[in-house]
Amino acid sequence: MNIDRRTFLKGVGGALALPLLESTLAAAGATGKPPTRFLVVGNPFGAQPDFFFPKNFGKDFAISPTLQSLEWMKDRMTILSHTDHGMVSGHGKEIGFLSGVLPSTAAAFPEKNMSIDQLFARQVGSQVRYDSIGAALESGIRMSWTANGVEKQPFTDPQRLFDHLFLNLTPKERAERRELLKRDGSILDTVGSQFAGLLKNASVRDRERMDQFQTSVRELESSFANRETWLDREKPGFDISGHFTESEVTIANRYDAIFDMIAYAFQTDLTRVASIEFPSELKYTDIEGVNRSYHGCTHNGKMENVTAELVAIESFQIARLSRCLKKLDAIQEPNGNGTMLDNTIVLFGSGMGYGGTHSNRNLPVFVAGGGFKHRGHVDAADASGNSMPLCNLYVTLMQRFGIERDKFNTSTGKFDLSHV
Amino acid sequence: MCNLTVAALLCAGLVAPTFAFASPALLETQCAECHSDKKAKGKFKLTELGERPAADNLKRWVEVLDLITAGEMPPEDESDITAAARKDLASFVKGQLGAYEAADKSLVKSGPRRLNNREFANSIRDVLMIEDVGTHQPVANLIGDSLHHGFDTHSATLGFSKFHLEQYIDAVRKIVDATILSGDRPASRRIEVPAEKMFRAHTSQNTKRSETHGANGSIDFLDPKSPIYFKDFAAASATGRYKITIRATGKDRNVYASEQTGIREGDPIRLSVSLGDRVKTFDLPEEKPVEIVLDEWIAAGSRLQLFYPTDGLTLVGNGNFKFEYRIAGQHLKEHDPARYAKIVAGLESKKPGRTAKGPDAWQHWVDYWQGPRPVIYSAVVEGPFYESWPTKRQVALIGDKPSVANAAAILQPIAERAWRRPVHAGELDSIVALVKAKAKTMNEIEALKEGIVAVLVSPAFLLLNTDDLTPEQRFASKFSTFLGSTLPDAGLRAAVAGGKLNSFADVRAEVQRRFDAGQGDPFLRAFPFAWLLLNDINFMAPDPDHYVFYHRKRVSEDMTAEALEFFRHAVANNLRLPEFLAADYSFINADLAEVYGATKVPADSKLRKFTFADGHRGGLLGMGAFLTITADTLSTSPIHRAKYVMENFLGIHPSPPPADVKIEEPDVRQAKTIREILAKHSSDANCASCHKTIDPYGYAFENFDPMGAWRDAYIAPTTEAAGDAEADAPAKKKRQAAKAPTIPIDASAEFRNGAAYQNIQDYRKLMLNDANRDRFVRCVITKLLTYANGEEPRAGFAVDQIVEQSAKHGYRIVDTIAAVIDSPLFREE
Repeated sequence: MNIDRRTFLKGVGGALALPLLESTLAAAGATGKPPTRFLVVGNPFGAQPDFFFPKNFGKDFAISPTLQSLEWMKDRMTILSHTDHGMVSGHGKEIGFLSGVLPSTAAAFPEKNMSIDQLFARQVGSQVRYDSIGAALESGIRMSWTANGVEKQPFTDPQRLFDHLFLNLTPKERAERRELLKRDGSILDTVGSQFAGLLKNASVRDRERMDQFQTSVRELESSFANRETWLDREKPGFDISGHFTESEVTIANRYDAIFDMIAYAFQTDLTRVASIEFPSELKYTDIEGVNRSYHGCTHNGKMENVTAELVAIESFQIARLSRCLKKLDAIQEPNGNGTMLDNTIVLFGSGMGYGGTHSNRNLPVFVAGGGFKHRGHVDAADASGNSMPLCNLYVTLMQRFGIERDKFNTSTGKFDLSHV
Repeated sequence: MCNLTVAALLCAGLVAPTFAFASPALLETQCAECHSDKKAKGKFKLTELGERPAADNLKRWVEVLDLITAGEMPPEDESDITAAARKDLASFVKGQLGAYEAADKSLVKSGPRRLNNREFANSIRDVLMIEDVGTHQPVANLIGDSLHHGFDTHSATLGFSKFHLEQYIDAVRKIVDATILSGDRPASRRIEVPAEKMFRAHTSQNTKRSETHGANGSIDFLDPKSPIYFKDFAAASATGRYKITIRATGKDRNVYASEQTGIREGDPIRLSVSLGDRVKTFDLPEEKPVEIVLDEWIAAGSRLQLFYPTDGLTLVGNGNFKFEYRIAGQHLKEHDPARYAKIVAGLESKKPGRTAKGPDAWQHWVDYWQGPRPVIYSAVVEGPFYESWPTKRQVALIGDKPSVANAAAILQPIAERAWRRPVHAGELDSIVALVKAKAKTMNEIEALKEGIVAVLVSPAFLLLNTDDLTPEQRFASKFSTFLGSTLPDAGLRAAVAGGKLNSFADVRAEVQRRFDAGQGDPFLRAFPFAWLLLNDINFMAPDPDHYVFYHRKRVSEDMTAEALEFFRHAVANNLRLPEFLAADYSFINADLAEVYGATKVPADSKLRKFTFADGHRGGLLGMGAFLTITADTLSTSPIHRAKYVMENFLGIHPSPPPADVKIEEPDVRQAKTIREILAKHSSDANCASCHKTIDPYGYAFENFDPMGAWRDAYIAPTTEAAGDAEADAPAKKKRQAAKAPTIPIDASAEFRNGAAYQNIQDYRKLMLNDANRDRFVRCVITKLLTYANGEEPRAGFAVDQIVEQSAKHGYRIVDTIAAVIDSPLFREE
């Protein structure tokens, strides 16, 4: 709150990006293979299906209006029709996008409603400075959930994301930070022993809530330890001030800044898992032709002009992603074949099918990049017309990410998508 | 004592003569035909009830009891059940539930949960004995609480993670640092701030234009969105008490017409002074400079800014203030044509090479603006002051000569407040050891602060309702959390421990005392806000092009305030709960009057009691908040409104449509009524089994449009937006101007039990019958328990006992609240 937005310009202006690939190389060094990364982009209201899904199936599908900006990579993506999480219609189910499970039914699953990005983050662990990064503008959409069934909130201010990822501390600040880490560490030590008596009569259910606290203490302790290791290593320098030179800064500028930061964080191996969210509260009226709220546009009553506004918002989201993918595709994978995009699994989608009908069927989903042998527009429904559980796709992505499991939450198999 | 009462009630229930005659056979004969395993109408099979209530079917039993009591099941049209048999059936079900609950005490236990962010801030305030957590926004970084069906106290969304814990440590540090000031006493300064050193801050991220400042001895507010700050005191550099004197006046109150500026004639021009997140607002007299004086404890780093709070000055153009400047030109044209002509004549020569904008363009009139606004002449900031050094608050907290040797004695009372109970033997040892260890490398006060931080991030502080509390301590904690969203003060803990809050009468008196003293204010805001889902008011806001007024005057804020004011009024006057539905009045101001079509309302923003003579409005059922929350942007939905009424007023929870149902997307372009669109709800047997129950609760509101204004006919929305043209015209005229084909509204329906209504007036009467009254009371009680316990009550019979207690006191709201607090479900015993 107290951070002056203008420090963007004052603080980092001039510190032009110089490729600092040391850590990437170091990461690859151990295995000799480039790391696999994961980027997921989600929204809370799905997509207007007539404009999102291509009209024909197969590899030679004609790109749809909403996906227009991805035309350049249409042979490197797979759009899935007829997937879902089997949820009833209405708002509030979209928070199960990346898990297939709602908080209310999470107890039945060993990892609760942990989202796939957090599963990947756990796999990456302390190999990189940040096991995952979440970002949005203004507010999140409750997309990322930890193994404890607690939501992980994204950074909602580009300035804070920037500071988190790229701001290097002065030696004095570094010493202070180290001191603070030590002090906070001692606090945790002390607090960790304060549980006696709190659990006396607790039922199983209550014990779980208490466990959340104890787990938090443990996890934060290990996170502090991890941070201490990283404290002395320089963060890569980066400059995003280019996005803020216009006299009016739009949400396009701000999202582009976010995507650029993520791309650069991938490039420099600061992180390997990123999630970006497009919330409902944001003022999309910055977009040409949009003068209603996002949610208002989904309830367009089929009026052409309002539907057009909705499609403009959805196309806007895709365009931001497309721009980022172009960027990733322009970077040669250090220590590997192909581009960074070929080693980045990209997932776009929503836990809601289409806001206009409150339907949670036929989720708008596509996968891009990641070195897959892509299949174009695929009808994922089975022979009898039943939709495919979206978790089947997640099993495929999971295996591509190097996690040797054949089941994820509500999966019934895996989606057929091999990789090179 | 409490146990005895409950046991007595249970026994009375169990041996009541009606129970002897009822039997499972009655359930079988009356219900089995439709609710067989095969038919399972309304997705209910009789066999789900098993032999008797059990953990896995308890919810079903409670639902069954509700439907039978309300006369909805067995349905009038498909059954010939007598009134007596109906009663027997209800008694049987109730008896079964009572017996089950008597045997399983765990049903009244609720689990631990994390403090929400409001409770966190209030509780730390009370542990440290300060006025608030500080002006430096120390809790702004906390992870926001998600709401669970509107409730911010619900354990389902108050989980705990390492992210939460880290932010807690950070926030606690910031608060403690601004309370205990180590080091030398900062010197006090006096800063004179002439208008020339006051600047208008940038509002957007537009950083290219330079900021403007006052001139010729004054600075006035042009764009209300743009705050003014003092160049030489943008933020406090040291924590302490400051005296701020501001010389200001209100100006040009009546130069332009109210319909143009959107500022009501009766509203004063106001000035807000914000110190970090603490805001003080003052009414300014007109054309008469006065001195405003603030005396505030300000934390280092807090920004000082002046604001012009108004919901006006957004009626022209797209709502951006700059278009308001046009009014200045129009005004001159009308009142000083000679000068106007002169200015217009001079326009062309100004910027060579540019296409000249017409005389109506706002750009020409910036310098001539005479809208209502505050004008500031000068200010003086003095401080920081301290009554003593170390400060009083510090001495109160850790004494005037704190030493690590006394760490245990210093921390003990702090921990006792924070943990809501006395400290157990040995419990502070590890924290004292921490302080001692830290004292080796830092000064003693800093080391003690580490101890306080540890006390405040320990689970005993951050988690509520844990097992380390005795029943008395737990009750005191829940009591103060419920009413005050904070931990219990020593007086309350002593009173509970001394058995002074064991009876209904004692609880009732204490609740009243707290409301009277303002200690219940957090409840008076947070509870109705959660219950009525007020956070959702703009989730699906009326379309901005067609409901311009709603957006331009921020009417959603007035609607929210109306609902909260009604609740506050109900508590202040201890109204009967059914009055929430029966009242023919509400609390409105001029903006709401415009939406509601109410006349003779004073032209200002103050909410006043207003009686509606038309029978359409009054109480919850006519409130704009409810009607807006439940409408789409361009159309209304009887289903959404029905669902809201059922879930929040009647405690009925219709099941969601089956996952495989294909829901038609509403098509507002067609000239069809919502009734025609929903025709399937009665023609398709699959839909009808539920919608026959649901839809009648919603049709009555069809006369209310998406923002809650009355309409006699549907007006098909034109693709041409009403607000696109000139927004200068008052909203009322514009609405009339949008003439389009109209379809008459049919707001009638028939309930499953045969009761029918023609319009909202009839409907309102039906909502007041005994069955609906009982449901409403039970629903409010259920919501109160949810707010208190962080989860929905599972014990239906115990809820029923509260309803009976409420009935004994005429369903009066304060008595009902006391009955909730005095119940086994709240006391958890």
